[in-house]
Amino acid sequence: MTPQAVPSSMHLLWLIPALPLAVAIVNLFVGKRLGKLAGVLASVAVACSFALSVMVVRDLLTMPAESRLYIRHLFDWIRVGGFNVGADLRLDQVSAVMIMVVTGVGMLIHIYAIGYMDGDPRYGRFFAYMNLFVFFMLILVLGENLLVLYLGWEGVGLCSYLLIGFWFDKTENAVAAKKAFITTRIGDTLMLVGLALIAQKFGTLDFTVIFGTAAGTLTKDAATVISLLLFAGAVGKSAQLPLHVWLPDAMAGPTPVSALIHAATMVTAGVYLVIRMHPLFEISGVALTVVLIVGLLTAIYAATCALGQDDIKRVLAYSTISQLGFMFMAVGMRAYAAAMFMLVAHAFYKALMFLGAGSVMHGTHDQTDMNRFGGLLKPMPITAITFMIGAAAQAGVPPLAGFFAKDAILEIADHSGRIGIYVLGSAGAFLSAAYIGRMVFLTFFGAPRSQDAAHAHESPAVMWFPLAVLAAGAATIGWLNLTPEGRLSEWLRPAAAVAVSGPGLSTGVLLAIAVAITAAALLLTWWIFGSGRVDRAAFLDRAEPLPRLFKNGWYIDQAYRTVLVRPSEVGAAITAQVVDAKIVDGAFNAIGAGTKRLAQAGRRIQTGYVRSYALAIALGAVALLLYVGVRP
Amino acid sequence: MRTPIAYFLVLSGILFSIGTAGVLLRKNALVIFMSVELQLNAVNLTLVAFSRMHGDLGGQVLAFFSMVVAAAEVVVGLAIIVSVYRRHHSVNVDEARELSG
Repeated sequence: MTPQAVPSSMHLLWLIPALPLAVAIVNLFVGKRLGKLAGVLASVAVACSFALSVMVVRDLLTMPAESRLYIRHLFDWIRVGGFNVGADLRLDQVSAVMIMVVTGVGMLIHIYAIGYMDGDPRYGRFFAYMNLFVFFMLILVLGENLLVLYLGWEGVGLCSYLLIGFWFDKTENAVAAKKAFITTRIGDTLMLVGLALIAQKFGTLDFTVIFGTAAGTLTKDAATVISLLLFAGAVGKSAQLPLHVWLPDAMAGPTPVSALIHAATMVTAGVYLVIRMHPLFEISGVALTVVLIVGLLTAIYAATCALGQDDIKRVLAYSTISQLGFMFMAVGMRAYAAAMFMLVAHAFYKALMFLGAGSVMHGTHDQTDMNRFGGLLKPMPITAITFMIGAAAQAGVPPLAGFFAKDAILEIADHSGRIGIYVLGSAGAFLSAAYIGRMVFLTFFGAPRSQDAAHAHESPAVMWFPLAVLAAGAATIGWLNLTPEGRLSEWLRPAAAVAVSGPGLSTGVLLAIAVAITAAALLLTWWIFGSGRVDRAAFLDRAEPLPRLFKNGWYIDQAYRTVLVRPSEVGAAITAQVVDAKIVDGAFNAIGAGTKRLAQAGRRIQTGYVRSYALAIALGAVALLLYVGVRP
Repeated sequence: MRTPIAYFLVLSGILFSIGTAGVLLRKNALVIFMSVELQLNAVNLTLVAFSRMHGDLGGQVLAFFSMVVAAAEVVVGLAIIVSVYRRHHSVNVDEARELSG
């Protein structure tokens, strides 16, 4: 499609999503008979996709920087009048980064799941859903038009629902799955409205056309409305305020699911969407400010919540929400490359921490309460060390990935003159380091606080191998953007403009401040949770009501329950027990009773005296004859 | 000189009325049955009379059909009456009223 000769491996682009789909179908139908092979097969499929992605991206690199774009038309999907939607794939810098993350991290998580899900009665089905998810996620990031993207968008939502509720025999898991599905549906519906508006304004949903003609087609207000509708979808998918409530509960699913869907890939789809559609957001301007504010509020809010959780997976869930907030902050400041960098780094260290948490659970009889951990460093050294590398990466310990990613965002906040954002963002960074420190010190240091923790054991190699690879990634991925201009930023520049930088503190000073913040937070949490010199119970009592507030997520969930869920339930009860039982059923019962009463009256005519019937016949015949005879 | 058609029709009407009265007023199933036969024959008489008037044999043929059907009907009807009698030990039609509403 591009004027230059397209490297040959690009034609295999369609295979990248097709392989996981094929294996998903196989596993769905014969997964039970494959036994352990199902997991291996699924991992191999994703690994092949990863290998193909590497090939394709390498070929993309050989193309000239300004024309790195490959669009593949697979078939016509929808043709209505003049409105065409094709099943088109698009490979450019942004989607290249995304497919590398999805297939790369996805592959490691699949391998890990072979060990983690061992012995589960629905082993084959688990891998079928996981592969299906990878397929939809790849469709999402490779789509050349918004409808293909939306197909992937809804598909990953479905897989998320299926996998959160994977152990659906426990009611709370089924409830969590429903909550995730319904909450994201709110955003998705608004997003669909946005899609409809775009179709109306542009007459097409193709990215190429939209980006080419957006400036001339949309007024500022129209762009604002459309951007905000799309952002609503992103808010739901990426669990930002006020639609974040589903993600902490989504931890009911198996841990590899949390790692793959609810940390590394699906939840970043919102960030991807905003980056992808940034030309519209830029026309609006206001929309970018909204993104920035929502991201900032979420980043700080979720960090405080993470500080109050006792369940290790819930800490990670709130941490994910908070980190996504940072990404949206970057997007809101037009620093798309920084957001992408953070997205990649986050995928590594958060997947690593989730898998590490899963490994901890594996070794302690599915214990998730951090109050019952402690001293796990000795029995499970590999898990502990890899986990701590991930934790250090997120907390912002140089030279690990998170340090550069977070620092890049804060630097842009400072350099673009948004001092308030910089200060608040730094506060968020402090909180991030604090909850990470608390989690690590409670889990791996001190004395074991339960029988399970005392008898913990290391996980099998199939589980710690992915941990090691991810740890290596989390440690080194910062290199991606290490040059002054930023390798990743430079590579993304044609697809996503880099933010303008202005005067501000020098990079060195900013780095020093960031390191100081991280060190302060880690030392503080070590003193409280790790050193054993502070009585934790007394400390928490003194800090009331903050711990309770944080633990319950500022009672937002409870507020939704009171304001939205309870009234709906009451309304449903009224509909079921009054409207349906009394009014609707009543109407039908009345019709039945009326017919019965009419019949009661009518049966009197049926005397059983044959002669009376004969008389009726005779009279009828006479009447008929009279009528025929008298008629003029 | 032929007998005017009106005589036949009046006679037929009288016979039919007697039959109808019999059907409606009598209780004995056999008598009712005979009254029905009377009605049928009243009609047959009309058919034959008109046939003669128009010089068309169709009416007479139809009368034959009517008789044959009536004969068949007698067979069925008598069988019913016999079985009703076995059940109720009476041929009073007012007693056979199980189908009353």
